[in-house]
Amino acid sequence: MEKRLIKKESLAGVIAELAGKMRVCAPMQAEDQVLFRVLEPSERPLVDFANTKNAPKNFLFPRTETLLKYTRTPKGMVAAGGAEEGMKTLFFGCRPCDARSFKLLDMLFDQEKYQDPYYIDKRAKTTVVAMACVHPPYTTCFCTSVGGNPTDSEGADVLLTDLGDQYLAEFITPKGEELLAAFGGTPAGVEAEKAKEGIAAQASSEIASTVPAREAKPVLDVRFEDPFWSTLHQKCLACGTCTYLCPTCHCFDISDEVKRNDGIRIRNWDSCMFPLFTKETSGHNPRPSQKERWRQRVMHKFRYYVDNFNAIACVGCGRCVMACPVNMDIRKIVADIVKL
Amino acid sequence: MQNPYVPAPVEVIKIVTEVDTKDIKTFRFAFLNEEDEAAFQYLPGQFGELSIFGKGESPIGIASSPTQKGYIEFTVQRAGVVTSALHDMEVGAVMGVRGPLGNSWPIDYLAGKDIVIVGGGFAFTTLRSLINYMIHPDNRSRFGKITVIYGARNPGLLIYKDELEAWGKRDDINLNVTVDKGDATWKGREGFVPTVCKEVAPSSENAVTVICGPPIMIRFTLPVFFELGFSKENIITSLEMRMKCGIGKCGRCNVGEKYVCKDGPVFSLAELDKLTKEY
Ligand SMILES: Cc1cc2nc3c(=O)[nH]c(=O)nc-3n(C[C@H](O)[C@H](O)[C@H](O)COP(=O)(O)OP(=O)(O)OC[C@H]3O[C@@H](n4cnc5c(N)ncnc54)[C@H](O)[C@@H]3O)c2cc1C
Ligand code: SF4
Ligand code: FES
Repeated sequence: MEKRLIKKESLAGVIAELAGKMRVCAPMQAEDQVLFRVLEPSERPLVDFANTKNAPKNFLFPRTETLLKYTRTPKGMVAAGGAEEGMKTLFFGCRPCDARSFKLLDMLFDQEKYQDPYYIDKRAKTTVVAMACVHPPYTTCFCTSVGGNPTDSEGADVLLTDLGDQYLAEFITPKGEELLAAFGGTPAGVEAEKAKEGIAAQASSEIASTVPAREAKPVLDVRFEDPFWSTLHQKCLACGTCTYLCPTCHCFDISDEVKRNDGIRIRNWDSCMFPLFTKETSGHNPRPSQKERWRQRVMHKFRYYVDNFNAIACVGCGRCVMACPVNMDIRKIVADIVKL
Repeated sequence: MQNPYVPAPVEVIKIVTEVDTKDIKTFRFAFLNEEDEAAFQYLPGQFGELSIFGKGESPIGIASSPTQKGYIEFTVQRAGVVTSALHDMEVGAVMGVRGPLGNSWPIDYLAGKDIVIVGGGFAFTTLRSLINYMIHPDNRSRFGKITVIYGARNPGLLIYKDELEAWGKRDDINLNVTVDKGDATWKGREGFVPTVCKEVAPSSENAVTVICGPPIMIRFTLPVFFELGFSKENIITSLEMRMKCGIGKCGRCNVGEKYVCKDGPVFSLAELDKLTKEY
């Protein structure tokens, strides 16, 4: 693995230059929040930030995405081309939790039996440059409880670690190595590696929240019916914010839109928190209240995903905890489940 | 990479209105492209997403049998947006089908056994596929006795009437058609499906029951089969959940860790016992 030292002041410029050559998505200030978005050519990204309010999944699995196009003929609507091909893309500044989320999404969208060509195409064309959390930004961070780590490179092609006066850049994959020329820098020696080890230990120890996420699975296996579920959901507004901000939530709806003689079939993010999500035409709804929907959300992340992919579908970013308007806290919920 | 979201274009080549109320029709489709037809290799019990550009898609069980070549059939009740658009279509219209999707009736497990088919209402569609598959000359010897118990609320609501008549004339199917209540011209059996099952009393010896119908019918029929000695492994049914993608991605149709679209829709009672009761 190639390791380089990059001057602090040069990093934003390197990314700005790349933004003229490919699609670059990076953290940017947007009024009072930091959002992950596409840079204009030569726009400089933020390099000092906590984390983005939105998860980067939007650029692999967009909130709204065209699947097919069609056009009217005398016999009916017929296909008129597919979706646009994905562009070569660079994700800059993903936090390690978010970089890890791509691995979790790969498990679902890139399964053996049915492959999702839209996701896979974008994913194949995307290079992930992650930025280690030298000081984990929030008290709600709990990546270490769900298999991640604030300085880990899982899901990243390049990992940057702030060593104080410069960045250590680790070019982890061949895709990452393609960026060597653009990043420049000088070879990193043992000293830098030592420094990173110290930073890594310190960063892990700064994670304030621990959640017994792995212990939840055996309890959930036998507690599908439990009075716990009847009280848990009561203040939930079913707004769906938690699922929309979640880096690993992947549920979607498919719908059609027609203007005059042309139409598209699109998919939009959907949410298991919404009452209509599972409602059938007959009126029957297997998840009739928010109780069943909250149970599904917990079960899906901490039990079913483990059954199907041997991984918890949560990266511990804490977005759902921070953004929920009524302060539902998945950390507390998981801790309570383990006590059942 | 095969794109599983792209429907194969098909032409509507025949439409049969099945019931007096006219809200259930069987649509016969021919593939417009030979490659699509060759790729659509299915077994009874699987389903397809019927796709109407501009309206959407609906998961519908395949009502034809793979032994019927050159076309596929679906029997559809008019319900909401997509199924209504379908009902308004005429022969010659072009639309799409995605599939085949889901698992199937467990043909290999059924082989060598006596088969009891129990259907209620218009949920008889994939059972019809199975019957036509089993009685095909190439397959008939692979299965033992075939008993069919099929019921509808009244004679006008029985679907596949011509086939019922043809099956009735065969000596290798024990066909029992019943209606909750007959009318002036009805000469057949009257009575609810569970009661008829009790009267017919098929032996559970080396036998499997395949059952599909309204939840209430299933609820009252199951005890009859338990009484007859059928084990949960040998009672097989098909689940319905709201679906979109049909390929285990959109996250909508799971029962426990299983996706009904991908891992189902067919499950034995023994398998369902292991899943969460959320359907
Ligand atoms: C495996 C399977 C097999 C089925 N087989 C048949 C069949 O052979 N004949 C038949 O008439 N019906 C069948 N159904 C039910 C049929 O899919 C729904 O009645 C139909 O999707 C309603 O669609 P709509 O657009 O007319 O209604 P709308 O209310 O407009 O529905 C909107 C969309 O929601 C989804 N949806 C709504 N209800 C259901 C439901 N019960 N199941 C699945 N998706 C739903 C569909 O994507 C549908 O297009 C089957 C369902 C499943 C899951
Ligand atoms: S963000 Fe909070 S209120 Fe909104 S759906 Fe999620 S848990 Fe419920
Ligand atoms: S219909 Fe999308 S997961 Fe089953």
